[in-house]
Amino acid sequence: MSDDSGTTPRNRTPPLPDEAAVIARAAGGDRTAFTQLMEHYQSACYGLAWRLLSDADQAADATQDAFIHAYRAIGSFRGGVFRSWLLRITANASYDLMRRAQRRPSSPLPDPEEGAPELPDLGAVNPVAEATKSELYRHLEVALTRLPADQRTAVVLCDVYGMDYNEVAEMTQSALGTVKSRIHRGRLRLRELLAEHRELFTG
Amino acid sequence: MLNAPHPDDERLSALASLDDDSVADAALTSHVTNCARCTDLVDELGVLRASLAELPDLQPSRPLRLLPPAAEAPVATGAAGWVRRLFGPALTVGAALAMVGLVGTATPILDGATGGAAPGIFDDVGTALEGGGDANYEALSSTDDGGAPAEAPGAELGRDLSSAAAQAPEEAAASEAPLQPDAITDEDQPRASWQATASGGDGRLASELPAERSPWPMVLFAGVALMVGAALLRWILAPRAG
Repeated sequence: MSDDSGTTPRNRTPPLPDEAAVIARAAGGDRTAFTQLMEHYQSACYGLAWRLLSDADQAADATQDAFIHAYRAIGSFRGGVFRSWLLRITANASYDLMRRAQRRPSSPLPDPEEGAPELPDLGAVNPVAEATKSELYRHLEVALTRLPADQRTAVVLCDVYGMDYNEVAEMTQSALGTVKSRIHRGRLRLRELLAEHRELFTG
Repeated sequence: MLNAPHPDDERLSALASLDDDSVADAALTSHVTNCARCTDLVDELGVLRASLAELPDLQPSRPLRLLPPAAEAPVATGAAGWVRRLFGPALTVGAALAMVGLVGTATPILDGATGGAAPGIFDDVGTALEGGGDANYEALSSTDDGGAPAEAPGAELGRDLSSAAAQAPEEAAASEAPLQPDAITDEDQPRASWQATASGGDGRLASELPAERSPWPMVLFAGVALMVGAALLRWILAPRAG
């Protein structure tokens, strides 16, 4: 993930000031420390889950699944960027949930053609973000929900969360060429969906 | 402006994300440099990527449970992991030892309950001999023709004790009824000999013999001690969830 560079993208949750110490305590079984970490990163994890699943309840479920996985595995965390490690777990949990939902005809994923699902309150997360940016984010979120699931997954993991092609291929259990193709087609489709708001991307 | 056909849009997207293959493709980069349409497309896709990378984190729609139930413990590494890895096998070995010791101790007792006692497992040799002697007596009594008596589990040890009695100190030899296993000819003699040997004149002879201790109670004790010790140390040393 691009987060591996150690610099957190703007608008994303930065690391805790004493994160290494908190992680060490959590790895030793300190539940308070683990809670502190999850509380800090829950909006990051939920954001990824929501963008992959386009459903608030499923995103919350996937995030909680990810926390359980993280709790079991935090002892094996070997350094690096904790946020990236946690997001990878969240992406896997979300993708698992997506696959389970696809196997269950009774609970289909939202149809992109039926209109955008209810968006989270983007302004609440970024109180300092100017109105134009908030508008841009809103259009991007809506456009993402209208992508076919395979393209959306690839674009979200690669372009929004900075995973490289190999990571996306491994996570989605797809061939590398397939992943690249999904990403490029997804981007081009997004561009079409956002054509009427092009001015937002030039300022 | 070039009149050459435009490259596939997916290749332009790859160029926008600076994929190595696309950047190294001289024909592609040359075309894009000289084609306004393709330049615009690559620029737009680049801005789109940058905007996607800026999307903010999102607040959950409902409060999330941040911790799994307390019963779940994280897979510990470091000190906690070493403590568990060290004492886990110790606990297992202790349990195995205790089980073996228990079976080893209990089996002869069970055999004794069904009349087939195997002396030597008890600390009190006299007690063992008593059971073995009775069994032996029963076997001897069943031989009407005076032939060789059937071997009973206690017979061998009984003979050992008899020979031990023959080599007893002088006071034993000088007693009013010295034990003479060689002189036993009558059918009743073996019983008398056995009783005398087993009781050893109120147990005196048996108690003078070196006790043949069974290892099983010791194995049982060692297993239990190992289990308890390992469990205690693990509980003391392993960090617990706060």
